Amino acid sequence: MLKTSYGMAAVALAGCLTAAAQAQVITTKQLSLPTAVTIATTAVETCKAQGYRVSVHVIGNMGEVLVAMRGDDTGPHTMENSMRKALTSRATRLPSGQFADNVAKTPSAAGLRLGNMIPARGGLPIEVGEDVIAAVGVSGSPGGDKDEACAQAGIDKVADQLN
Amino acid sequence: MSRVFLGITGISLMATMVGATSAGAQVLDHKDISLAMATTIALTAIEACKASGYNVSVHVLGRNGETIVALRNEKAGTNTFELSMKKAYTARTYRQPSGKFADNVGQNPVAPQLMLTNIVAARGALPIMIGEQTIGAVGVSGAPGGDKDEACAQAGIDKVAADLK
Repeated sequence: MLKTSYGMAAVALAGCLTAAAQAQVITTKQLSLPTAVTIATTAVETCKAQGYRVSVHVIGNMGEVLVAMRGDDTGPHTMENSMRKALTSRATRLPSGQFADNVAKTPSAAGLRLGNMIPARGGLPIEVGEDVIAAVGVSGSPGGDKDEACAQAGIDKVADQLN
Repeated sequence: MSRVFLGITGISLMATMVGATSAGAQVLDHKDISLAMATTIALTAIEACKASGYNVSVHVLGRNGETIVALRNEKAGTNTFELSMKKAYTARTYRQPSGKFADNVGQNPVAPQLMLTNIVAARGALPIMIGEQTIGAVGVSGAPGGDKDEACAQAGIDKVAADLK
């Protein structure tokens, strides 16, 4: 019985595969370096204008670092933290603060066991329409809400390029 | 004889240390690369290479080898991000162009330096200096040849030369 259902599933799967028009390549969008630099620089400057010393990471679709900036006189942990906030946003496709809220009541959440995930506010996904193509993370302000505001300022700055 | 000499050296060293202590346990005062300067160096290096038709990634490291700015060029090879960091780290550590380090150790396949983390014998990084003092380094990777990478690193440093004082 089990073997039969596997067999039927295999047939159905094969049908799906062959039904696909061709083995087509996937077209995805990617942040350009100038856009990523603008996001990071804007986030740093926005926080600096408010008296907050922050570091910023902008990461791409696969979590690769596109831009890393260590703010002047920031705490040494801010580079790692900004990277992890960004990665958390990219992975969950959510603001890292939203992820933090989601797991607050479930300390056993599997997401917390993955490498570099961190339940801390200050990271935002970068979206084109419904697709998350990158993320930005900020660390160093006295409060994740303030980090997040600077991350948002960075994204807002390039909003017209995200299409 | 040797022991006597060491003894004398030890006494004079102690005298030096006592002298320093009596003057007060002072903090070290040094200059470091700002984010603004590091960003200018990195972007100038990228643009200089782009003008020559080369897509490169760049790292600017500070005094302790820490990353101040890292830029991944999406049109450059995947390895360039890592290699630009390692070149810069090498230039910072040995206080010389990474290409010069490569020339020095290149003849010795068992050079212990090459067994250290993040040290690489590859041209394309330059120390960032104030006078004789190395305060950081810039590393470039992606051009077809370390000499071309190095030229872009130099362009980055030249851009901020007036502020390196």
